[in-house]
Amino acid sequence: MTTTSRQRRSFSRRASSNPARRSFIALAALALGVAIAAPAVADSTVIRLGYPGVGIDNRPFGYGDNISVAHIGHFIEDEFKNDPDVKIEWTFFRGAGPAVNEAIANGQLDFGAGEGDLPSIVARSKGLKTKIVLAADTRDPIYLAVKPDSGIKSIDDLKGRKVAQFRGTNLQIATDRVLEAHGLTERDIKFINLDTGNTLAALASGDIDGAFGGPEFLDLDRRGIVKVVYSTKSDDPAFGRQASLLVTEDFESRHPDLTARVVKAVVKAAQWSTDESNREAVFQGWTKSGIPVETFRADFAGVKLTDRLSPIIDEFFIARYRAQADRAKAYKLLRNDVDVDSWFEPKYLNQALAELKLEDYWPRYDANGKKVATGTVEQTQAATQ
Amino acid sequence: MSVIPEPGYLEAAVDALALSTDRSDRRTCALPARWARRLQAAAVGLAFPAVLLLLWELSARYGWLPAQILPDPRLVVETIQEFVASGELLDDTRISLMRVAQGFLFGGLAGLLLGVAMGLWPRFQAYVDPLFLAVSQVPTLGWMPLLILLVGIDEELKVIIIAWSAFIPVTLNTYRGIRAVPARYREVGQVLTFGPWSTLTKIVLPAALPTIFVGIREGLANSWQTLVAAELFASSEGLGYLMAWGRQLFQLDLVIMAMIAVGAIGLLFNWGLGSIERRLRRWQVAS
Repeated sequence: MTTTSRQRRSFSRRASSNPARRSFIALAALALGVAIAAPAVADSTVIRLGYPGVGIDNRPFGYGDNISVAHIGHFIEDEFKNDPDVKIEWTFFRGAGPAVNEAIANGQLDFGAGEGDLPSIVARSKGLKTKIVLAADTRDPIYLAVKPDSGIKSIDDLKGRKVAQFRGTNLQIATDRVLEAHGLTERDIKFINLDTGNTLAALASGDIDGAFGGPEFLDLDRRGIVKVVYSTKSDDPAFGRQASLLVTEDFESRHPDLTARVVKAVVKAAQWSTDESNREAVFQGWTKSGIPVETFRADFAGVKLTDRLSPIIDEFFIARYRAQADRAKAYKLLRNDVDVDSWFEPKYLNQALAELKLEDYWPRYDANGKKVATGTVEQTQAATQ
Repeated sequence: MSVIPEPGYLEAAVDALALSTDRSDRRTCALPARWARRLQAAAVGLAFPAVLLLLWELSARYGWLPAQILPDPRLVVETIQEFVASGELLDDTRISLMRVAQGFLFGGLAGLLLGVAMGLWPRFQAYVDPLFLAVSQVPTLGWMPLLILLVGIDEELKVIIIAWSAFIPVTLNTYRGIRAVPARYREVGQVLTFGPWSTLTKIVLPAALPTIFVGIREGLANSWQTLVAAELFASSEGLGYLMAWGRQLFQLDLVIMAMIAVGAIGLLFNWGLGSIERRLRRWQVAS
């Protein structure tokens, strides 16, 4: 009791007298007012980008798309290097696309940077307000890796086997489409939900018969731990995965200028990374993820860089999203219809292409994958080694 | 001057509450009064969920939380109807229940045996106790990485984890219950020239029953909670899997449906065990 009354007494003394302290409080209040008013005047902004994936052992680096090239080469940071009020903040999500969705819904991100097709379609079906402003990754193949002694030689042998899959990512829809093409459904296979890191561990320990995934398997294959028996590369390219640069509608409406500049920076990264003379440099950059360079050489073997890393939103790219949305509904991965066409906002991309004089740099394809316009990037040559 | 009420104020409030419940307990158990009391208990039990439901509804209506994170309660109801109709909810529940049944049976029986052995033979207890106490400090899920290496990621992993989570509390409480049986009860057995078996089944176990049941209830609750955590990882069916699936496909209504199912079944378990215990303890009431 005594302590309380003493405290109270001393508090009242503190509050009433002491002019120096009073002016300090006034000053603090003024500072607070300025701080609140500041964003309207000085416009200090953090651009928050979320990348759906991590490297080996959770390294904060991506691979396989033009976004990771922009990140590794600091293209976006360079774009804003003369704007001390703009900060770039990258977050890498082990939980991949689904985790990026959650962060966007929470208002923690402005860009889903390289968000895969299925998770973004699922999020759109749930009313998450975003715009697709740029293609990050097109025709990304998936691989089936199996335990060497499993006896699985093709997709058809998977019936009843135990197979890992990172559910809810664009791997799932790509896998389902491959299965459908071989007359199978998810129910024919015992799918186990594992993220990329755990899939690699489970494959190595022989706990699963096989797994669908990306180029991460190629290194295990080289070391004889697994056998890669199937890839969409040698099948229909429409089975591949897509990813985009998404901006939240909220950020886009508040900062159209910043949105345009982020897009422009990624377009520059795409320009550099689709130039065949940079092929080896692109792969070396991606090794920051902990994946060896041989993996990327194999993943891109026989593939032009522009086929995967072009930022162009052409009919082919849009058609892929339409098809994935349609199949996702058929496989009951989402329950509402998704309006795909109104989702694309190519104006920032077109603006960047005009500013950088890159309108004719990349080829364009129609919905069926037929080339309708060639691009000057196709004339670039790999450096002779 | 201070806005925060004096601590004494709170204590007085708590006292007042306690007094009021005391009074209602002391009332004689005439039939209508008992029914009234049950009704009152039910109303009190439902008041808090009702407030939460109201908040949920308001949040959905005024968009306090994004609909992607906290879906409309009506959507959850629709989802439940849909999954009940398609049989998927029942399938997943059945699979989860089977896992718990197996794990709890193994873990519970092993716990009973070890607990009885520790309770009856102090020397055995002296040997086992330190290790047992040390091992029981490691949280169940802390065993997962090691177990995955030993038994893989299949059914065995889940059953062992569930069994383990039931084993610890059942062992502890069985042992404590038996140790706490007053010596004079056993003396009665000696007077009646009971053999060891009769002493165990007629005197020691019945007397230790309330404590043993505390362990069983705790064990079952643990099993059920552990199941969900185990199914979140590397499974392809069950309620925990349904949660993981719902989260990854951004269908939080699915997650909430699975949570409701898990909670409801946990409540049923608790209630079922409670009534079994009351039945087994009738002799006490009769005496």
